[in-house]
Amino acid sequence: MTTYFAEVLAIEGAALAQVRDRAGMTCWRRRVVRELLRPETSYAFALRGAIDGDAGREFLVAWRELLAAAVDRVLRSGDSQEAGSVAAQGQAGGADAERLAVLILAALHGGGTLSRVAEDPAPLDAALDIALAPLMAGSRGDEAGPPAYDQAVT
Amino acid sequence: MTDSHSGRRLTARGAKTRARIVAAAAELMYVKGVAATTIDDVLAASGSSKSQLYHHFDSKEALVRAVVDHVGQNTLDRERESLGHVSTLRGLRRWRDALVQSNALRHGAYGCALGTLASEVSDHDDLARRALSQLFSEWQGLLADVLRRLQDDGVLKPDVSVDQLATGLIGALQGGYMLAQAERDVAPMATSVDMALAHIESLSTSR
Repeated sequence: MTTYFAEVLAIEGAALAQVRDRAGMTCWRRRVVRELLRPETSYAFALRGAIDGDAGREFLVAWRELLAAAVDRVLRSGDSQEAGSVAAQGQAGGADAERLAVLILAALHGGGTLSRVAEDPAPLDAALDIALAPLMAGSRGDEAGPPAYDQAVT
Repeated sequence: MTDSHSGRRLTARGAKTRARIVAAAAELMYVKGVAATTIDDVLAASGSSKSQLYHHFDSKEALVRAVVDHVGQNTLDRERESLGHVSTLRGLRRWRDALVQSNALRHGAYGCALGTLASEVSDHDDLARRALSQLFSEWQGLLADVLRRLQDDGVLKPDVSVDQLATGLIGALQGGYMLAQAERDVAPMATSVDMALAHIESLSTSR
């Protein structure tokens, strides 16, 4: 299992470092959704195995930190309309990025599980729509639209 | 009540034994996980004999399916009770508070009983997967009904897709349970549901 954790973190470290604006986040989302909907990918194994043990916990914390850094860059880029309203509410950008990162990771985990159960990408897509909404204000999270399940998993 | 294994009508005593076996198996699978729960564990915990268990279930798979039904109906009964009359955003927050408080009692250690089953069995047993899919659809329907009432009362904007929002909210909730389970801390679950509800509140007509 630790191999899967290391593999996902290596890919995510490189991919999320490239995310600096909404377009980058949309590209990241499209790729991760594809990975999660295939049952035999490192992503699917890693998320399923993350519930038990210290290694799983450390994996989730590390992924969440990578996500928070990317979310923080998008919020600071001024590319997100919500960034203005978040600042207007007097909340610190860093704190919001961390909370949003928790929701994004939950959406990947819970949405991915429900999509596998339903054999339908809609739950993962709907969960990510909610999680990424503060970054994507004014546009749909995945402009290309969700893939059909059989397209997504093959 | 009929026996799903033999199709025979159960006597009151038979139904009681079957219910005792399923309840013990559900508890064990919730705490230890499905894979780690053996038939011997279930026999010991339920105080049943092997012949009693195999009279009702011809395999562990059949027992797991009965557990899915049992846990699913318990979950839906609880959710019908707590969501059935919710028609305000404050009511939705109270629903969130009850789930978080209940999970905090165990430091998030065991997650959502239905979600745990979904993670463990849906890849191995297509019948159980279909049953779980139906149960989650019903749960999502209860949340969609709440959001529809909010929309009908003019609280949520009319162009909001309540079904999609309910689906996303269940995903965020389930993921929150799983993160809490991994971290042995209810905080990520509370944050996930809070953030998801904040998004729903941002879609209200007063914003």
